Parts: sequence; structure tokens; C-alpha cells
Amino acid sequence: MRQSHFAFALIAAAVLSACGGNGSSGGDQAPKTRLSSQVAFGDSLSDVGSYAVGTVKTLGGGKFTINGDLTSVNPALTGKNWTELMAAQLGLAAPCAAETGLDGDAANGFAVPIVFHAGCTNYAQGGARVINPVGLRHKLTGSAFGALTVPISTQIQNHLNVSGGKFSGTELVLMMAGANDVLMQLAGLSAGATAAGTAAGTSAFGTTLVGLLAAGAGNPPTAAQAIGLALQTEAARPGHTDASVVAAAVGAAAVQPGNSAVAAPAVHDPMVASAQAAAATAGANAGAAYFAATGPTLVTTMASVATELTGLVKSQIVAKGANYVVVNNMPDIGATPFGRGFDAATLALLNAMVKTFNDTLGAGLASEPKVAYVDAFALSRDQAANPGLYGLSNVSATACDLSPAKNLLDSSLVCNASNLSAGDVSHYLYADTVHPTPFGHLWLARTVSKDLAQKGWL
Amino acid sequence: MNQRWNHVVTLFVTPLMAACAIAMAANASAQGAGQFTVKVGAGNMSPKGDSGDMSAPALPGSKVALGSGTAPVLIVGYSLTDNISAELDLGLPYKLKLNGAGALAGSGQLGTVELLRPSASIQYRFMPLASMMRPFVGLGVTYARFQKETGSGTLTALLNTGGPATTFAIGAKAAATLQAGVAVNVDPRWFADLTVTKSTLRTQIQYSTGQTHRMRLDPLAVIVAVGYKF
Repeated sequence: MRQSHFAFALIAAAVLSACGGNGSSGGDQAPKTRLSSQVAFGDSLSDVGSYAVGTVKTLGGGKFTINGDLTSVNPALTGKNWTELMAAQLGLAAPCAAETGLDGDAANGFAVPIVFHAGCTNYAQGGARVINPVGLRHKLTGSAFGALTVPISTQIQNHLNVSGGKFSGTELVLMMAGANDVLMQLAGLSAGATAAGTAAGTSAFGTTLVGLLAAGAGNPPTAAQAIGLALQTEAARPGHTDASVVAAAVGAAAVQPGNSAVAAPAVHDPMVASAQAAAATAGANAGAAYFAATGPTLVTTMASVATELTGLVKSQIVAKGANYVVVNNMPDIGATPFGRGFDAATLALLNAMVKTFNDTLGAGLASEPKVAYVDAFALSRDQAANPGLYGLSNVSATACDLSPAKNLLDSSLVCNASNLSAGDVSHYLYADTVHPTPFGHLWLARTVSKDLAQKGWL
Repeated sequence: MNQRWNHVVTLFVTPLMAACAIAMAANASAQGAGQFTVKVGAGNMSPKGDSGDMSAPALPGSKVALGSGTAPVLIVGYSLTDNISAELDLGLPYKLKLNGAGALAGSGQLGTVELLRPSASIQYRFMPLASMMRPFVGLGVTYARFQKETGSGTLTALLNTGGPATTFAIGAKAAATLQAGVAVNVDPRWFADLTVTKSTLRTQIQYSTGQTHRMRLDPLAVIVAVGYKF
């Protein structure tokens, strides 16, 4: 029995040593690498409130996602973009916009003086391009909004100007740019193709109509000359309409010797219809020809933009002392609600632009150990293909109600609880046609985190 | 205190009572050698491979793997007959590392967890009682219980960047265990032995962010111990 007691004593000792404080806990949350601050360069995807002034502020907006802390509605609706999530994860101060203001129409509350905020190191601005200072909704595009769109090159310079011309080496630098170079170029291509189509269509309409109207005259060449002159004169007159141009031409044709019959609608209406058909064909052909001729140059331009961005990262960030640089490549714009709206040819061009940009950027930064190159493209592409794996409820519709009655800017910049689409949008991927919801931003942050962990930085 | 005692009951007292019951039954029939043994030593436990894919929302192919761990062991035995003995392995907690695997490979240590695996077994010992070397085989049941699941900044960053610290819990599970080993009798009282055990253990990790992993651990344990017969 004594032996049994000894055994029990041993058991009791083992029991006691094993017990106590045995629940789950979060553990040490500090990153492996102690980072002193976060500096962000980029566009709307990283902007934390450059335009949160004037009317935008009044409307409860400021970030290009679903604005506001709505975690009481759904935990996913944090109102935060990926730069804010990264800063929180790293135990750093919440990022603030380095420069705020708007240079637009004062009557709409879009003229707010530019202010530089000392201590704020998120330079990302909605609409910003890599080098070109005229970005989306910039004043020089004719936009009443007047986005500042300070380009990446200047954003970096602005930081160097206030940090002694160098990076400290202990900050995390975030970079995500290039998408606005795609969007602006596509808009330019669309405008160019439309202009070419319109010009060709107008020309074909006039030529065809004049020929048909003159055909019945005693002397067709002479008649054509007179009709053509009347048509051009009317077309050049301010305030002309399609109908007035037709009327002028028909009027001139009817007074040509032997051609009075053309005055009857039954005679000239079919001629007008033929001319319109010819115009439509010529316009479409000219637009397509412009697209075919100009499209490839957009792709090569994106390669140049990527090369420029690579150069900035290397010569203006890494070479100036930064040791921890995150560069996100360009998401799959073709898979956004914006991209989904395109015809096949435009979508193919868009995809080629994005691919060329990413290929060039990735190759340029591949051998740079201080850069974590994050494949945001692969993430967004896979999210579109397998939404369920990512907990996404919708990857094609916008979480924000962008109708003019609900959204003044047709943008998530002024999207919040007051103008969401109907239903539970907390796990939609897109807030507007190109910008992610806070849940989408969490995914970007999680992907960046994975890469940083694999780098041994986090 | 209540909770603590509940754990004690679950973890130790229940299997112990079972072992005592066996012992008493043996005594009553008066057929056993009736010898108690106590041995102490070290065990190394290696769980098997990667987990299954993390459930949504997760990066596709996200897996984790538990590393191996070493812990002191305390084993109480009772010989029912000259050839059949019962053993109760009271093993102290193994501290194991939870590492990223699959799509998360290379992301390093995501957390740590302690595994307690008290195990009761019945063994058959070959060779006569007085032999110097006595190989044995055994069959038992192991109750694997995980505790002190501790996350990390990396785990939080991977699952809920910038959010509250992510925690995880691993479900307790009973598992069948096979044993094989050899005991070396140094003198009539002292002996040393080597035991290899393999358990079929399947459990699940649950994260505070909602995701789960299925884990097939099937741990292999190698235990080296020195014992004394009373």
C-alpha cells in the first residue's frame, strides 16, 4: 500500500505541474522586424483621405472604399484600406494623408486650399499616375472635381524633401501605382476612336447624300457642287442640327434644273437613310481602324510606365536608404466591374496593358532583396474565379449605389452607410467599379502580410 | 478551481481509476506478479505532415503543420501477470510549434501549443520474467488534449491583418495507440526501456476568425525511460 501511495504522489505532482492557465491566447503580436513608421506612395487604392475636404468631407467620404466604421453592422465593414490595416498590424500610428486639398469647382465645394500635413507620410492620392501629373479627375481633364493627382515621382520627392533626402531604413514603404495610367490611356483611346469615327461618319454622310441628291439633276456634277456647298455651309453654321443640314441639302438639290422631284420626302427620305447607313459604316470602320492602330501603343506605353516605376523604386527609394519596400503589382482590372463592361477587343487590350505592366515591373524588381513584390493581380484574378474560397459574396456588382441620385461623384470616395446597394454588401469585393470594399482591402493586406512573413519581415 | 479539478478528473483521474480497477481485479484473482513500476524519461513526439486546407475565407492551399517536440515522461506500470502489464503514461505537455505550410509555407512560426497525451495501455511482454531483454508490444488509448494554444503577430497578420489578435484552439480527441518496445533489466529493481508509439489522431484547429483546418496528426512518439520496480 505504501507503494501505491508513492505512485499517487507522483501522479498528483504530474497533475499539478500540467495544470493552470491552459487556454488560448493571441501571443506576442510584435512583428519580427521592428519598423519605425510606414510611408505610402500610390493612388486611390492607398489614399487615406487626400480629398477628405470640402464637399467630400460633408458627404461623409474621403477614402475610395465603403467609408466609416460600420463594424457594428458587420465586422468586415471596417472602413479601412490596406495601408491602414498594415499599420495597425505593425503597431504603428494610423496613417494620415500627407497632402490634402481639391483644385476644382468652388461652386460645388471642390476648391479647398492645399495643405501639407507634417508627420503624415501617406502620400497616395486618388487618380495619381506614375509620372504624368494629370491623372483621373484632374482639373486639366475638364473635371469639376479637381483631384490633385500628384504623381508617384513627386510624392517620393515630397517625402525626401521633409526627411533629409533619404529614408531612415527602418520604415515600411508601401507602393501601389500604375492603374490610373491604364484608365487614362483607355479613356484617351476611347475619345480618339470616337472622334475619328464621328469625323469619318460625317464625311461619309455628306458625300453619300450629295451624290444621291444630285443624281436626278440635269447636270449632276454641277448640282453636286451646289448641294455640297449648301450642306457644308449649314454644317458650319453654329446651331445647326442634323435635320437642318439635311434640309439645306435637299433645298439646294430641289432647285437644280430637272431635280424638283427630290423635294418630296418620299424621294429624298430613302436617300437620307442610305447616307446615314453609309455614315454608320464609315464611322464604325474608322473607329475600329483608330483602335487597331493606336491600341498597341497603349501596351508599349504601359511597359514604359512600369519601367519608370521600377526606376523610382530602385533609385529614389531603395538607393535612398529604404530596406523594407512593398510593391504591389496591378490588380486584374479586367475582372473589376469596370473591366467587365468592355467589349471583347477592349478587354483584350486592357488585359494586355495590365499584363505588360506587371511583367515589366516584376522583372525589374525580381533581383531586389529589399523589395517584396506582391502579386495583387493573381489575388484579384483568383478572387474573381473562386469567390467562395475567399469568403466573397459578390465579385461583379458594386457595394455602393452609384446612381447619380445617391452618389454625387459616381465613386466610392463618397460612399458610406447612407448610399450602399441593397442587401448585405459587407463581403462584396468591389465598392465601386474599380475600388475594393474594406473586406477586399483586408484580402490585399492579408496577401501582403503573407509575403512579408515569407520574407521574414513580419 | 472547479475547472481545474475537472481537467484533473478528465485527464488523469479517470484513466488512473481505470488502471487501479484493473490492478485490483488482478489482485483479486491473485494471478499477477503484482509489481508496480515507475519510470521517468524523455519522449519525442512527431506529428505527421501538413494539415488539410484552411476553410474559407483563406488563401487557397493554406495549410499548417505541427512541429515535433520533446518532453519528460512519467509512466506508472503494474504487472498483471508475468507477461501482461498495464501502463499509464502521464506524459508532461509537449510544446509544439505551429508553422505555416502549403500556400503559407515559409511564413514561419504561427504559434505554439502544448499537447498532453495521457495514455493507458495493456502490454504483452515476451521472454521470461528474469530475462535481461524483454521486448513488448502494447495496445492502448491516448487522450490527446491541447492547451495553451498561443498565436502570434504573424498569425493575426495572415488571418485578420490589423485586427484583434487571432487565437486558435485544437480539439481534444481520444486515439488508439499501438506500442512496441524493449525493456532492459539492469538489476532486479532497475531497468531501462525504449518505447515507440503510434497513435491515430485526427482533430481540428479552429481559429477565432472562423476558419478551420482538419489535422491528421497520427503522432509517432519515441520514449526512452529509466524505471524502478517496487
